[in-house]
Amino acid sequence: MENVATDENWKICFAQLAPGLLLFARQWARSTADAEDIVQEAFVRFWRKDHDIANRGLLYATVRSIALDFLRRDSRRARRESTAVSEMDQTVQPLFEIEDESQRALVAALDLLPREQREVLVMKIWNELTFAEIASALEISQNTAASRYRYALAALKKNLPAV
Amino acid sequence: MNDFSELENQLRKLRPPQPSADLTSRIERALAEVGQGRSSELRSETARLAVTAGVLPQERRFHFNWLSLGLGLAAAAALVLFTRIQLERPEKKIPTLASITPAPQFSSPTSTAQFVPAGLTQVVYHTRDEGLHFPNNSEQPMRRVRSHTRETLRWRNPTTGASLRISYPSEEVSLVPVTGQ
Repeated sequence: MENVATDENWKICFAQLAPGLLLFARQWARSTADAEDIVQEAFVRFWRKDHDIANRGLLYATVRSIALDFLRRDSRRARRESTAVSEMDQTVQPLFEIEDESQRALVAALDLLPREQREVLVMKIWNELTFAEIASALEISQNTAASRYRYALAALKKNLPAV
Repeated sequence: MNDFSELENQLRKLRPPQPSADLTSRIERALAEVGQGRSSELRSETARLAVTAGVLPQERRFHFNWLSLGLGLAAAAALVLFTRIQLERPEKKIPTLASITPAPQFSSPTSTAQFVPAGLTQVVYHTRDEGLHFPNNSEQPMRRVRSHTRETLRWRNPTTGASLRISYPSEEVSLVPVTGQ
């Protein structure tokens, strides 16, 4: 992994990490725009503190922390606003670029997963983190991270008879 | 070996959406604001950073924390005030206590009016029986009783009506002869 020591390097790093980071942040955000706000804040904070970009566990922990703060603020805001608008935001902006019906079914099954399993799956599959990095980001043991991953896959397989 | 390998492959085929072009420019602006003063420093240290395998040491920059400075100053001010109060206390007490016995009357620093004794209160708030003792190797046992009291002396200025009160703790040990029956 590249370092963000220079102005140009951060763009390379960000281009590599951004889709996975956005997907990770989308678990707590209602829209892509909110997820982008979270990722922006996390990435700038990470840069500002001179952290090593190779420390991906810390990077994802930063995203998660900011996302949870955002969720708390957003929940308060949502209570003030009509739920209809929020639901519309969620349905308009999908998590993935879906190509066929089998992928649509897979995404629907993903939505049914408990959040703690889904976040491990997102970090493992689309961000290619090791279980050690996932454990570091979520402040859990590696065994727990691996277990959650296996439970997630098992649940997906159960909900997808065609697989 | 892995029952889920096919499922994992299917999941990997799902592509998350790319970030908007606006996001990169927003981060670029934010980083520019943050690191305006840093870019030249970073460029000059590029060689050293390469040697450290990409690990940016956090100690190399001095972060001035205004909150810590404020708290530190507030604590120092509180300490100075506390110390002054502690130093002033004995100055008030010592001359007063010393003047009780030899000179029950004393004058106010701002006027010539005289203070006259107005009363003495002695409150015993704790008494402890310390058992039998034989003082000075005598054969007659004595019971030693230790009393803790608070004495309050009052003075009054009959001319102005001003009053002055001094209160201090005292300890008294008394030996009571034991009578056999």
